[in-house]
Amino acid sequence: MIQHLLHINHVSKHFGGNVAVSDISFSVDEKQIFGLIGPNGAGKTTLFNCISGFYPVTSGHIIFDNKTINNLRPDEVCHMGMARTWQRVKPLGSLTVLENVMIGAFSITSATREAEDIAIEQLGSVGLTDYAQKTAGSLSIGLKKKLELARVLATHPKMLLLDEICGGLNHTETETILDIIREVRNKGATIVFIEHDMKAVTAICDWIVVLNSGEKLAEGTPEEITGNPEVIAAYLGGGYNA
Amino acid sequence: MKQIAIIAVLAGIAALLPLAIGDSPYFIGVLISVLMMAALSSAWNILGGYAGQYSFGHAAYFGAGAYTTMILISKFNFNPLVSMVAGIIVACIIALITGSIVFRLRGHYFGLASIAVAEIVRLSALNFDFTGGAQGILLSDVSLWGIDLNSKIPFYYGMLLVLVFTLSIALNLRKSKTGYYLQAIREDQDAAASLGINLSFYKNKALLISAGLTSVLGSLYAVYIRFIDTTAVLDLRLSIEIILTAIIGGVGTVWGPVLGAVLLVPLAEMLRSNVIGDVLVKQGIVSENSGLGVFLKGNLAHAHVLVYGIITVLCILYMPKGILGLFRRKK
Repeated sequence: MIQHLLHINHVSKHFGGNVAVSDISFSVDEKQIFGLIGPNGAGKTTLFNCISGFYPVTSGHIIFDNKTINNLRPDEVCHMGMARTWQRVKPLGSLTVLENVMIGAFSITSATREAEDIAIEQLGSVGLTDYAQKTAGSLSIGLKKKLELARVLATHPKMLLLDEICGGLNHTETETILDIIREVRNKGATIVFIEHDMKAVTAICDWIVVLNSGEKLAEGTPEEITGNPEVIAAYLGGGYNA
Repeated sequence: MKQIAIIAVLAGIAALLPLAIGDSPYFIGVLISVLMMAALSSAWNILGGYAGQYSFGHAAYFGAGAYTTMILISKFNFNPLVSMVAGIIVACIIALITGSIVFRLRGHYFGLASIAVAEIVRLSALNFDFTGGAQGILLSDVSLWGIDLNSKIPFYYGMLLVLVFTLSIALNLRKSKTGYYLQAIREDQDAAASLGINLSFYKNKALLISAGLTSVLGSLYAVYIRFIDTTAVLDLRLSIEIILTAIIGGVGTVWGPVLGAVLLVPLAEMLRSNVIGDVLVKQGIVSENSGLGVFLKGNLAHAHVLVYGIITVLCILYMPKGILGLFRRKK
């Protein structure tokens, strides 16, 4: 039986009178690659911040691995097995690439040697082995995105929240990242994916939820979503079918 | 391992130094100041350098150690070592209260609040009776295991021991989970939290280690000088000297604070005792009776704070990673 790993139940987030996320519900199944899309300001990143513990929700429940995680701190959410990346990458700039990934690995071990082994393995899996001793701040944006990925993978998460991990990347770089994501899923992790690049989303996602102005507009398979006239009108625009 | 060997070698050299220069109380006194400032700055560096949480109020922890020790020895005749441990406890309680409240906030709030806490502690010490108020506390006699505490030598080795201990902690911490977590907090708090780092726990941990070590130095200093008042051990000037030493040497490095202390304390001492002015006059560079000579004689002794300030400005402009940063190759 397929289990819901993450369940978003009527979640709203208000900033004062400003409704950023309004009464959203959906479920993410285990081992799914789940796409969260929508135009700018749709509330995708706000929702991510709620799920990962950075914002308290105004109302509703977030249930992960059968536990309500509404009131947990970000570090507690991470220890439950949910890790996130950032749309605007946050490398620990003056530390080396290896040390960045080790810090992720320290969430599952306290031994420096072991953390280093895990980090080296994860650097290999995203192809950053050659950059291990560079300072993280000196990397190009494409490599920084890979570093973000390696760092969260080192926490051995059950679920990965990826916030525009392909943003700002060229075609080949995007392909590499998508391959890594597929590989991660095949090893048993679940992935929730915010993305603007429709090609990437339709290529990789099993299920997509579309947000617009803080509300859920539609959900379905990539085919259903790209064929949905409401979605096309709100988000994809007329040009997408041409 | 290499760094531990360096600590051992330097400590060995430092241990032999008093034998080399003989029992000159003046030089031993200057060396004690160097060791103390190196240790204070290293302890501050664990919180300020590793975790990036700049405390502008470390005098509070120094003073907590000093006052607790002096009160317990002079009024209750405690053993100096026991009262030192009591000082650590008092300093940690102050640290825990400060940290648990202020570390919830980000940015410069901790720095500002640390000044406020230090001022609260200073004003309390100034106005309570049991702290001796403005008169301070004088210790007429103190003894430990029959060691002659009238000599400066025991305190030289005491300071050296605390410095070695502090450096060992700083070194071990750097390559440990806690050390990496503190550095992650310094670099980016959101990223750190999302990687499973409990921000307030680790900041408090760093503060406690730092405050505990600082209070030990306060206790040692108090028994060494045998007189304390709020100006000597709780002044904002002390907090700032600790920070400047770390900044000029190299914030966030193990050796930066030591280097800063080795350079700055003798410099301040030379200015204070007017050695530089005397040398200028003796070398005939400045005539003793000329306007400049009179001016230097009258004012250079008070100039060490000014010199600290100028060095700090130059440091921030031209070597933001401190003197040690100049020697680090960029990877």
